[in-house]
Amino acid sequence: MLIFISIIFLFKPEIKSQAAFDSLKIKLPKHYFKTVIIIDSYRKANQNFTDTLNPLATKLKSYGIKQFNASFYTPIYTQTTDVKENGVTKNTHLLLTGNFMLLQPLFGGISQHSLIKAGMGVRCIINSGKKGVWFVDASPFVTKDVTYESKGYFRLASTIVYSHNVSENFNWRVGATKSFLWGNKHYWPFIGLRFGKLDKVNFSIQFPRSINLNIPVGPKLSFSMYTRPQGGMFNFSNSDSLYKVGSESTFSYTRYELNTGFRADVRLNDAFNFYISTGISSKNNVTFYSERANKARPRLPYKNYFFSKTMAPTLYVNIGLVFKFGKTRSFYKDRNMYDVMDLNNANGVGDNSINTGNPQIPITPKAKKDINLGSVQDLIDYNDF
Amino acid sequence: MKRFYKIVILVYLFFYSGYSVAQNPKDKVTELRIAFISKKLELTASESEKFWPIYNEYNDKIKAVKKNLRQSYKKGVDNLTDKEAEDLYQLDLKTKQAEVAIHEQYSAKIKEIIGAKKIVKLHVAEEEFKQEIIKNIKEKSD
Repeated sequence: MLIFISIIFLFKPEIKSQAAFDSLKIKLPKHYFKTVIIIDSYRKANQNFTDTLNPLATKLKSYGIKQFNASFYTPIYTQTTDVKENGVTKNTHLLLTGNFMLLQPLFGGISQHSLIKAGMGVRCIINSGKKGVWFVDASPFVTKDVTYESKGYFRLASTIVYSHNVSENFNWRVGATKSFLWGNKHYWPFIGLRFGKLDKVNFSIQFPRSINLNIPVGPKLSFSMYTRPQGGMFNFSNSDSLYKVGSESTFSYTRYELNTGFRADVRLNDAFNFYISTGISSKNNVTFYSERANKARPRLPYKNYFFSKTMAPTLYVNIGLVFKFGKTRSFYKDRNMYDVMDLNNANGVGDNSINTGNPQIPITPKAKKDINLGSVQDLIDYNDF
Repeated sequence: MKRFYKIVILVYLFFYSGYSVAQNPKDKVTELRIAFISKKLELTASESEKFWPIYNEYNDKIKAVKKNLRQSYKKGVDNLTDKEAEDLYQLDLKTKQAEVAIHEQYSAKIKEIIGAKKIVKLHVAEEEFKQEIIKNIKEKSD
């Protein structure tokens, strides 16, 4: 009885407040993440193969890229806990992710191939409430050449990262990632460093994903300069008889390029933002691997290629639309939650090099415009005038 | 492929027409308020780490409670039946009680983190921000 009374006494304000709140039957948003749909289009100019001695290069003639990507993430579970001993609020976020990519490698000398990469995955982000945030992502996907009758190929990309917020101005990350972004199956260490606040000018190195200099210029506009890899590993139909050894109906087509460019992010409102970027695409590599020749080494990157060329640098254009749905809990000035958002955005959904540009992190407005009574009715009443 | 782009354009037009292009003024005021309070409070890194998650939660609850009441009044008060009027009256009372209870609960938590001096500063900053807004609106209306 005494214990019961003590508990009531100890948690009295909480119980009273919760009861008063519950009596109103108001539902607060459960999640911190909105459901986000990203439509991304990427185009790289065609270039001729200059190696006239290579019969495959002669046959292929030229190479360019047209890529369309639709991806989403949605929160499926969020748990928030107040830790009594140290007063911190920690939370766990489970997100469902999905990705569909349509890639058209533009070879001038052979028929047009449409390659798809599609998959659904999960990611879990754990905010310890103190200095650290954990990020775990698993993105299984299937690649297939849909232009011709061909079998699909299943792959799994994954990432685990620990992010440590030393201060608002400095963050480091360490982890590991299995990614196909560099044109092959690679197990990379993940190493990240960020200097500067996430809602101010900051410089961030996130190996092997990106290097960014972010410059927010107002609540609606943000610029960035960046370098990041773009690529993947796809199933390619042998309908043009590019691979002549054996009788395989498909082989692996891999590509990567290192894009260095300038990007503008425009936040029109809470439900929509878009980005546009352009720059130079260098290290443009295209490689064809035989499945059979590499089958004996399943856990290693493919080494036995029958064609590989690196083209001269070229221009690229990338445009993206980001649609956001749903209401969320607030996390203003919450350093760890900003980091949670950044981790989620820096690691593109479905092992892609797509970054939504942290539109969830509010950039403080400088001027007091558009203030009217309707917008401040929660703050003031007539007695204040 | 062209079909995809058509869909994207249609979705974009839907959003463009359905939502105001400008940022929601309420969100803008919230951001200004947060910036104002943040500047006035001068929290240490360790205080800031614990304070903002709790303060955000407090604001979310207070906003939700006020919005709930406002929306109930918006339905119209001229043709209310006695029962509806009584319900609305009770809701008004419950809302005020909930506001006080939430304030009490979260003030206690915040006080543990930043201490009594800074919690007084916080209340002063909130009041000063209100006055800034009123001044701004008055200037515009003159």
